[in-house]
Amino acid sequence: MSDLVLAPLSATAPTKSRWRVVRAVAAKEWLELFRDRRLVWLCAFVVALMLAALAFGYVENARVLRERDAAAQADRELWTGQSAKNPHAAAHFGQYAFKPLSPLALADPGVDAYVGSAVWLEAHKQNEIQFKQARDGGVGARLGSLSLAFILQTIAPLIVILMGFASFSGERESGTLKQLLSVGARPRDILAGKAMALIGAIFALLAPAFVGAALALVFFVDRERLSLADQFIRLGALGAAHAAYLAGFAFLALGVSALARNSRAALVTLLAFWLVNSFLAPRLATDAARALTPTPSWQAFRAGIAQDKAKTFGHDESHPAFIAFRDETLKKYGVSRIEDLPVSFRGLALRKDDEAGYAIFDRHFGALQSAFDRQDALRAAPGFLFPLLALRPISMAFSGVDSRSQFDFATAAEAHRRDIQNQVSDNLIHFAHDNSYVAGPELWRKIASFAYRAPGAGFALGYSALAIVGLLGWLALACAFALFAARRLRPV
Amino acid sequence: MLEARNLTKHYDGADAPALDRLNLTVPAGEVFCLLGPNGAGKTTTVNLFLNFIEPTAGEALVCGIDAAVDPSAARALLAYIPEQVMLYGALTGLENLQYFTEISGAEAPRETLLSLLAAAGLPEDAAQRSVRGYSKGMRQKVGVAIALARRARALVLDEPTSGLDPLAANEFAALIERLRKEGMAVLMVTHDLFLAKQCGTRIGIMAQGRLASVFGADDVDHLGLERAYLDLFAKAAA
Repeated sequence: MSDLVLAPLSATAPTKSRWRVVRAVAAKEWLELFRDRRLVWLCAFVVALMLAALAFGYVENARVLRERDAAAQADRELWTGQSAKNPHAAAHFGQYAFKPLSPLALADPGVDAYVGSAVWLEAHKQNEIQFKQARDGGVGARLGSLSLAFILQTIAPLIVILMGFASFSGERESGTLKQLLSVGARPRDILAGKAMALIGAIFALLAPAFVGAALALVFFVDRERLSLADQFIRLGALGAAHAAYLAGFAFLALGVSALARNSRAALVTLLAFWLVNSFLAPRLATDAARALTPTPSWQAFRAGIAQDKAKTFGHDESHPAFIAFRDETLKKYGVSRIEDLPVSFRGLALRKDDEAGYAIFDRHFGALQSAFDRQDALRAAPGFLFPLLALRPISMAFSGVDSRSQFDFATAAEAHRRDIQNQVSDNLIHFAHDNSYVAGPELWRKIASFAYRAPGAGFALGYSALAIVGLLGWLALACAFALFAARRLRPV
Repeated sequence: MLEARNLTKHYDGADAPALDRLNLTVPAGEVFCLLGPNGAGKTTTVNLFLNFIEPTAGEALVCGIDAAVDPSAARALLAYIPEQVMLYGALTGLENLQYFTEISGAEAPRETLLSLLAAAGLPEDAAQRSVRGYSKGMRQKVGVAIALARRARALVLDEPTSGLDPLAANEFAALIERLRKEGMAVLMVTHDLFLAKQCGTRIGIMAQGRLASVFGADDVDHLGLERAYLDLFAKAAA
């Protein structure tokens, strides 16, 4: 030891670049994680699971898309293949509007399977979306499928907890925390380094899944119907939301680990939170939202519409509203008999009745959607405490598979139905001079097939604002908790 | 310089304070050895200088900085070698040294770190192995190298030679003497009267949280120190 040349003693404390300390802690944590083969294998398993879920999602979505395209084409052929008939009879013949599959449904299937995929468009009636995959799939389908969203939202936090629960408590137990603090490292810098390592590991976990999803989009997106750029913006938003969700878990794990008496206590606490967040909170929030903002049953909803529709005349020529409209029309045209009108009174009456129906449907369906919106808001409100409540609506919104996307589709389908009604009624008004009038295939072909273009990512952003605030609140809260815990960090 | 001013620690639930109004100054260039039986308050004193625990009253100053007020600043001026140096099992001895040196803000190239490990008694091939297979003595050597690499103004040691073989312990004593001459203030807690006599410039004996007596190292020989130590505890037992 005598030949060792040592630098002179430092006159002052070394000037530490905090970034250097943070980086050194992060690098050491990474090295430890990497050398812990169990964690490497666990992460590899989760990545494989995510890629498998993505592949299953891709195959399933491709099948559904093929089926919907084939069904839409067959339905169009049925519509255009109608024989010559009264245009209003054709409106009663009806047609389907199929919801185009959102490409990102391969990552998050959302509510599509439970809400349905097509609307029956017919005269006088606005129908709900039907053909629920979950109902067709039996009990198994109701249990849900192994989607990328499920893995990221439920399994990935567990991995973050397993990676982070012993971050501080393990060091305290092994005595290295004493050694670490004794060299003058600031707890906040140690926290930042550990958080950086953990969040880096999260990114390493997320990256393969999101690169896989991006590649799937390139192959899956029909660029004539959808903007690839918009899908990438949506994917970016999904990545950012999931990263914020998991980063919050990283801070929570670090904070709990810093405060816990030992690693076992830290793990038990974190697992309890994970269980509540993943399974209990969503159910409780849904029940509470339903209790606070009840929605009518299907029967009650339909009965409400029927009650209002009874005030319109439909095909009932003895209905006071029909008689009033007839008298008003005769007066308008200055004639005393329907036969003397220059246009078809039947066409005018159908149009009048349809317009009265539109207002009723708008009021009832609008009120129902407002109730769903209030339920969604109530469900997402505790998202800053239980982040899955905030993440789930964001994930479904940006994947285009939430109730708002369904409502937008249903609204577009209804607009198409009204366009069909208006066109057939106009045809009747101008050409049906008596009850024997029939229209031919040229009218059926003139009515365009339903072409729905889903709104862009801005639409999802607009109505996810509350959930986004909740998710950011969760991240800020978890970060503040970790900083608070770091301030109270003691090595013994 | 290390200074304790009326430093007191009373643990929750304990009948008597673990440390009772300790007043102690270790100036630069002095090695103060603290002797005493288990529970005398020696390790509590060390933990208070490192602010691993909060004092009930009084101050523990490191080069004038109150460890309770700014623990990180105080620790940055203080090197510490515990009784059992705990290291990261997944890392090698050299990686542990690199890590702790970097965290402390000190700069040292790899070669210097290897020579520090060698100087502490750890050969290069051992330094490149995972510390999982290290003996207690080998870990202690890495701890010594960490303290050396930091070049701090003050050094606190808690049973530092525990686990070292006699040759390494002797070399360690020589190293302490060298650091003292360089102007380091050293506070060493030990049960080893021989080591205290060999390294210390002043020796204090603690009992029941108090500094019972202090000797100049030149004023007492090994036997005299042992007698004083035993007499103190015979009186306490009576």
